[in-house]
Amino acid sequence: MTCQEYWNTMPELAGAGEETAAHGQECAACAAALRNHGALAAGLRGVAAEWGRLKAPGRVEARLLAAFRGQAGLASLPPARRWWSPLLAWVTAGVVVGAAFLLFSGRARQPQTPLHTPAGMEAAATDWSAVLPADVTGDAAAGDFIPLPNADRLPQDEDMNVVRVEVPRSAMIALGYSVPADRASERVRADVVMGSDGLARAVRFLDE
Amino acid sequence: MAETPVETDDELLLRMRSGDEQAFTALYRRRQGAIYRFALHMSGSAATAEDTIQEVFLALIRDDCGYDPERGTLAGYLFGIARKLVLRHLERRRTDVELDAEADDLVSPDATASADQLAALTRKEGIAALRRAVQTLPQRYREVVVLCDLEEVDYAEAAFILGCPVGTVRSRLHRARALLLEKLNQERRPKGLGELDPARSLI
Repeated sequence: MTCQEYWNTMPELAGAGEETAAHGQECAACAAALRNHGALAAGLRGVAAEWGRLKAPGRVEARLLAAFRGQAGLASLPPARRWWSPLLAWVTAGVVVGAAFLLFSGRARQPQTPLHTPAGMEAAATDWSAVLPADVTGDAAAGDFIPLPNADRLPQDEDMNVVRVEVPRSAMIALGYSVPADRASERVRADVVMGSDGLARAVRFLDE
Repeated sequence: MAETPVETDDELLLRMRSGDEQAFTALYRRRQGAIYRFALHMSGSAATAEDTIQEVFLALIRDDCGYDPERGTLAGYLFGIARKLVLRHLERRRTDVELDAEADDLVSPDATASADQLAALTRKEGIAALRRAVQTLPQRYREVVVLCDLEEVDYAEAAFILGCPVGTVRSRLHRARALLLEKLNQERRPKGLGELDPARSLI
């Protein structure tokens, strides 16, 4: 085997055959270079091991999931996975049952208004213009964002992102919009504010 | 007890196409690490790597993503998109103009390096030096090292990702390793001190 043939096998050093090994014993220069490459391969394995655990930040997965849901036509936004969520659900259920009882027992006869009308929510909203990026606040009023029920308010210094998705118009019902039945399956564009924990904080609909 | 067979990427993609969110999550979690690291090694920027991984999977979500199982694996396809995005980013930064212009042809294929330097490669500082050296390789050598040496992509797959023959992958890898040895040698013994062993070709 010549030096040229020997070096032609270099990318497969780990699997070098007998002939290659024999050349390495005969040729001191090739043997020295082989040692260098062996050390380099070990070093590269070290880099690979050191970096092998690196993964993309969790917020990327959250954004992609929101986009996937939009693309797949899944209306639900990421649920708030908090320790108090089950408790909140029970409390909410209790309030709903209580309200229903009052309503049907004839003690509550005032005109009905939705609990979470967009206008009501906007009044309670965080000052989104202070926390949203300029490119988001620039094309529409930040006040258009509706905080999602049960979502934490966004701290002023929180890292957040806005993801544009498409959802069925029926998703607007949950936020107090009235949606005619014949338009429920239409697609509407929405911007979703995601907190750094990947949970949705607020939404605004671009096609109303 | 029989083990549940692991779903292939293509099977997960099929389920994902029918709106299965779990399939999408499984596919993302399986592939994101390697592609994120590839983008990070290639760009040297965590922000670029994050943008890249997001764009890659957004492309996959789209119905008309253009993936064809007949032409290559899904992993190769995802790496290919990541590569294009990173190259576009590098082009904008134009850093590679300088890198490609300088080191490429100045170094002989099999430069020597001192024994203690090579021994240090497995130590922490040696690994850090090697990582820096990888990031200063010209782009076409950096990508083969990252794919084949760091992410253990096989040559055929790397050739598909890079759009070149397998032989080209092999020769670039060979040359990239030589460049790495030379860069480590230079870092250890800066030129001008008169101590640098002359780089020599063994062929």
